[in-house]
Amino acid sequence: MSHDALIAGLVTNLDPVRRRSVAREAALVLMLAAVELGLFLGLGAMRDDMGAMIGSPYMLWKLGGLALLALASGAVAIRSLSPTAQPRRDLAYVAVLVGLTIIAGALIDPMAGGDGQTILQRLSPANGLLCSLCIAVLALPMLAMLALLMRRGAPTRPRTSAWSIGLAAGTWGALVFAFCCPVNDPLYVATWYCVGCTMVAVMARWLLPKGFRL
Amino acid sequence: MASAQDGNGGAYRRLLSEISAWLERYFGRRLPHAEVDDAVQETLLAIHRRRHTFDPRHAFGPWLAAIARRKWIDQLRAIERRPSDTLPEDLAVTGHETAVTSASVLAGLIEQLRPAQAQVIRLVKLQGYSIDEASRETGQSPAAVKVNIHRGLARLATLIENQDDVA
Repeated sequence: MSHDALIAGLVTNLDPVRRRSVAREAALVLMLAAVELGLFLGLGAMRDDMGAMIGSPYMLWKLGGLALLALASGAVAIRSLSPTAQPRRDLAYVAVLVGLTIIAGALIDPMAGGDGQTILQRLSPANGLLCSLCIAVLALPMLAMLALLMRRGAPTRPRTSAWSIGLAAGTWGALVFAFCCPVNDPLYVATWYCVGCTMVAVMARWLLPKGFRL
Repeated sequence: MASAQDGNGGAYRRLLSEISAWLERYFGRRLPHAEVDDAVQETLLAIHRRRHTFDPRHAFGPWLAAIARRKWIDQLRAIERRPSDTLPEDLAVTGHETAVTSASVLAGLIEQLRPAQAQVIRLVKLQGYSIDEASRETGQSPAAVKVNIHRGLARLATLIENQDDVA
């Protein structure tokens, strides 16, 4: 087919389109986040002592850090769906933010206290893996929403976008899970929440670019 | 493009014609001659499918260049995946590939590969040598020639992907 014939065909098929709007996509994501969190808490999943714990440095670090990471990685994910975006640079900023959050966790670790337990006891791998799986499951609605937005967007670096989306969904899943997680140990949280987020990010990287065509 | 997003066919036709000419020059400097038409058409289709993602508040050039660059990478990957058949010795065809060899962009990228990779890519992919001929020419085993072509093309795609500037 010549270029002229192709152009003629495309012009024939031209319909008015609704322009992509970052604000609309962000609103959709926030709406889904509110619904998921509302349902989760409405079902009574929040830990019983949240009222007493909410002002503690540990809880401020956990909820505040995860909320910041979810917001930042969500913004990076949505931004990466534009052809002109530079998602690698944005992801590097998020990685720095993750590092800073973990360092902050290390600073409050003595305040939270390990009660003289060994590192293995503090990590409690069996419970930790379960937490990671819960995070991955709670991340699925957000992952699905961002995947839909990716299909409608035009990411020119689909693999990097997929990493961003996985990280955004993973940190969101971790934030939701943080409301019910009864463990008060920064080492445990930093380790297993990272594992959960990484699982979601790897899943997104593996699944989302498949069949994606610009 | 803003008019085309609103359904203005005349503006869209003019835009696509101008884009098509620009894309021919763009891919002509970056791809073997035989691949240019496919790349242009793939890019036109992508522009059509993703026209809703253009934001009229921003410049059109970077949006177009980003999509063209993605299609360039896809085309390079397609070349890498495609099995290269040896042409019969008696087939006389004017060598379009010479133009590619001299293309500054491609040459600049190939310079960044390991010498063994650059040498066999030039011979097999650009000058039409068979694997055995390239093996004799370079002293590499046929298996090493294949491996170096495969790794070199993968490295080329990575190099392109890591470049920020697309103009």
